[in-house]
Amino acid sequence: MNALGNNRGPLDGYRVLDFGWVLAGAIPGMVLADMGAEVIKVESRQRLDYMRMGRPIVGDQPDPEQHPMFHNVNRNKLSITLNTIHQPAIELARKLVTRCDVVIENFSPGVMDRLGLGYEGLRRIKPDLIMASISSTGQTGPLRNLRAYAPSIGALAGLDSTLGYEGGRPLGLKHAYGDICGALHTVFAIVAALYQRQRTGRGQYIDLSMLRATVATQGVGLMEYVMTGRVMQPRGNYDPTMAPYGNYPCEGEDRWVSIAVATDEEWQGLKAALGGPAWTADPKFASRYGRLKHRHELDRHLAQWTAGRSAETVTELLQSHGVAAVPVMGAEERLFNPHFRERGLYADIDHPALGAEPIFNLMWNLSQTPSAIRRHAPLMGEHNRQVFCGILGMSEQELKSLEEAQVIY
Amino acid sequence: VTYTLLAGLKVLEVGRLISAPYCGKLLADMGAEVTKIEPPVTGDPARQYGPFLNDDPHRERSGLFLYVNANKRGVTLNLTTPTGQRILRDLVARSDALVHNLPVQDMGRAGLDYEGLSRINPGLVMASITPFGLTGPYRHYNAYDINLAAAGGICSGLGKADGEPLTFGTPQVGYFAGMAAASSIVMALLARDNVGAGQHIDIAEVESMAGVYNGPEALMAVYQWRMTRRTGHHALDFPYPNCILRCKDGYIFVGAPEGRQWRQLLEVMGSPKWSKDPRFRNRTEMNNRYADELDSYLESWLMQYTKAELLDIALEHRIPLAPVRGYDEVRHDPSLADLFVAIDRTDTGPLPSPGPPYRLPDAESKPPSPAPHLGQHNEEVYCQSLGYTREQVVKMYQTGIV
Repeated sequence: MNALGNNRGPLDGYRVLDFGWVLAGAIPGMVLADMGAEVIKVESRQRLDYMRMGRPIVGDQPDPEQHPMFHNVNRNKLSITLNTIHQPAIELARKLVTRCDVVIENFSPGVMDRLGLGYEGLRRIKPDLIMASISSTGQTGPLRNLRAYAPSIGALAGLDSTLGYEGGRPLGLKHAYGDICGALHTVFAIVAALYQRQRTGRGQYIDLSMLRATVATQGVGLMEYVMTGRVMQPRGNYDPTMAPYGNYPCEGEDRWVSIAVATDEEWQGLKAALGGPAWTADPKFASRYGRLKHRHELDRHLAQWTAGRSAETVTELLQSHGVAAVPVMGAEERLFNPHFRERGLYADIDHPALGAEPIFNLMWNLSQTPSAIRRHAPLMGEHNRQVFCGILGMSEQELKSLEEAQVIY
Repeated sequence: VTYTLLAGLKVLEVGRLISAPYCGKLLADMGAEVTKIEPPVTGDPARQYGPFLNDDPHRERSGLFLYVNANKRGVTLNLTTPTGQRILRDLVARSDALVHNLPVQDMGRAGLDYEGLSRINPGLVMASITPFGLTGPYRHYNAYDINLAAAGGICSGLGKADGEPLTFGTPQVGYFAGMAAASSIVMALLARDNVGAGQHIDIAEVESMAGVYNGPEALMAVYQWRMTRRTGHHALDFPYPNCILRCKDGYIFVGAPEGRQWRQLLEVMGSPKWSKDPRFRNRTEMNNRYADELDSYLESWLMQYTKAELLDIALEHRIPLAPVRGYDEVRHDPSLADLFVAIDRTDTGPLPSPGPPYRLPDAESKPPSPAPHLGQHNEEVYCQSLGYTREQVVKMYQTGIV
């Protein structure tokens, strides 16, 4: 509850037409919806969101209502179905645009224009529209037609070039880094545009390239080249200012603890936590410089010490001495971790097809207007009546006939 | 380029290293007036991090600092002194937002108490970025990038099964926390008239990774679709290929999630004999059981071509191949030329670094300005904005306050 006596988010009152799909396109709308905007997801049975596909959880028939990833990144949204191969569906989309503040899309560059839903056309019917187009490599330029997925972005942006063991091959990240990085930069650009619109009434077009967004997070690697001309290679767990800096083996199967020591004060804390074994007194480890120079030797000593202890024991002991240590956690460990449970990182949300399932919270905690998961991800076209009849004033009869004609489909 | 969407917005940043400074940069690159407060003498530790121009260590020539602090004004202020905190309150009274990333236990000592500051300026939006958040059993935990990546879900799946879990090659988590804070600040300002007040925003760096970044992955664990395991350069349970392989002059990502892309790739490779092997029908099984063997087939073809040639093949045949580029290649990619802004500092000459990563073709823009020297805007801020005399500023310098 906030001062207004409600739990609405800061974007309460804004409406978004969300053509976004898969991950990079779905997440900006997810964030805006978590923050209180009314987000209408535009889908079609003729062109199913990839996130709706996959192995069914219950039964053995493919079912677009069963994918947990879809449920995560589309919670809080409304769903309408528009089959854009039919012109009347385009007309309906255009009508909806006039009733919305923001449009989001991540089709291949040029598709929205071909559909008659490009920004230039839409701003004529909605002059203060804010529209965001998300793509792998931008709406223009020589790479715009490259088929690219999240791992392609990690490769092209330089991110992957340093991911690997020292002297080894680049391994590549196993997550959708580029998608999320692009999606979050999109959110920022959209809210900045809303801020400007609130003051000046101006709309805005946002051309977001996941590649550029990922390059923007490559500060140290890029600047290493700019400042010194050196090109970084895979370098294992390494930081130029810290030693120890790594993941160390612990008791149990494939259990590890991350430990990082920067300052002399932290080094003294580590020594005290370990009970001052002889090797810690070696003068070559006394200074930050010495610890970095002899870091491999330092790592071997520390790994021997951690190996017989649980990751949790090491964490508690080291943190009580002010040393940065945290277990390496898989998703399943985070789900049951007491800290994340207390903060509510995951919420159990009932879904009609699957029952209660954990959905991750955004965790952007605004004290007066917190984000919230207010409802489960929508079923396909669940809100056709609410949107077409409620917002556009369509009659029940008209809705029915458009459904039969597979325009609303 | 610097956009002006947030023109008129006044932001204070008490930031170190990446998270709060990247938040400040995002706001500044959109036109907000961001004033960065650094401790006297040493400044932001990013000034010591490097990489340094021509390997000549100097607090004014650290690449990380110059990148994430472009477009800001910079002042020095010792926030642990009563005078320093009084000046902070004067600045807060004239600002819309404040972002910081001091640890929870240091906030009070530095005068960063939201209740107190909001009494001075009820409209203040304050964002606190901390490793584990302002609440919960780990709120006092110390953590650096590798610890946040370890708890945030990056390390558990990165590396070889018989090797230690890896983290990012360079610090990354702070950027995600910075994005979360920047968007949250602007949203709180959008809602300020409705709410009738500012608010306090709690951003945990680890959750900026664990939440948005790989939150959905948790579900896979729950349903045991895809357990977190380290499988080297291959990804488990994806259709083969989905991996980084060798080519003539380096490495290339090879993917083909759609069946037609795989058929197209085989055709471009000249429909090799091995592709008819009955073991190679189900591509997920190919990935999980025969990846090493298949790598050698693909690499023998890839080794004939350079990264540039393979990129041309990718564009021509619509196959998802992507060169693993070094930072030199990224810097010199002509399609990214307008991403880099060359900021000219008289002491360094022009230094290129990324500007805003979005293109806003209809927005007004202005030229960017370089990151501040330590205390560069002390006079502008303390004398011209707050009305202190030069003498007073000198006194504050002599007593270690600025």
